[in-house]
Amino acid sequence: MTPRSDPISATRQEGDALLLSIRGEIDLHNSPELRTELLDLLNRTRARRLVLDLAQVPYMDSSALAVLVEALKKLLKIGGKVCLVALQPRVKGLLEIARLASIFTICKDEQEALLK
Amino acid sequence: MMSKPASTDPRVLRLRITSDPANLAPVRREMEAFCIACGFDEIARGDIILCINEALANITRHAYDGATDRPVHLEARFEEGVLRVTIRDWGCGKVPVERLPARDPLDPGGVGMVCLRELMDDVTFTRQPDGMLLTMERRL
Repeated sequence: MTPRSDPISATRQEGDALLLSIRGEIDLHNSPELRTELLDLLNRTRARRLVLDLAQVPYMDSSALAVLVEALKKLLKIGGKVCLVALQPRVKGLLEIARLASIFTICKDEQEALLK
Repeated sequence: MMSKPASTDPRVLRLRITSDPANLAPVRREMEAFCIACGFDEIARGDIILCINEALANITRHAYDGATDRPVHLEARFEEGVLRVTIRDWGCGKVPVERLPARDPLDPGGVGMVCLRELMDDVTFTRQPDGMLLTMERRL
């Protein structure tokens, strides 16, 4: 078994923005855990903007992408958005092939994400 | 669970795994090393590994309906500048449905199949009497 570690390594809130740092490779093995944690945080904080720092995510598969899309759809309903920060090349490639690069707000760092 | 039957041919990698998603990361590690040895660059390796990951995840989700203890055999063979990956399962034997290119991006179902079709040079699903054989090819 691959050791399972918490995919969300840090959380903080600034105004209506929830900032999360994700770490490690996210695939079908651990994406259900990411989904549970992410949706729970969104429900508890009532954030309208979600900023996900993906600097420490070298790989993500379509099951992880589905989690991000679910969070996006939830926030779009209340006029919110999801900003993805510091995309690594393989994650960026997956977003592009899934035609999702323009659906999310892509930022180079958290500062830029908070200004958008 | 993952086993790696001994191969005397460095151009061939064989992996025997169960359909447990915990095996995805170890398979990616093995395939990364194999693709480096074949001479694929970083971008091509990313494409190949994504496709193999998506194919294996589809087997767990669809062919085996979420069961994590079923067998999956993977073979990667590199000959004359072509990587050929075959993945055998003993699941339901249904050919995965491919979404149309104009699908809704906010409905991420089917991304795995899009990856296979767009990132590999050739993809063939061959129904077996007791499952499915997927063959994917990527030129160097």
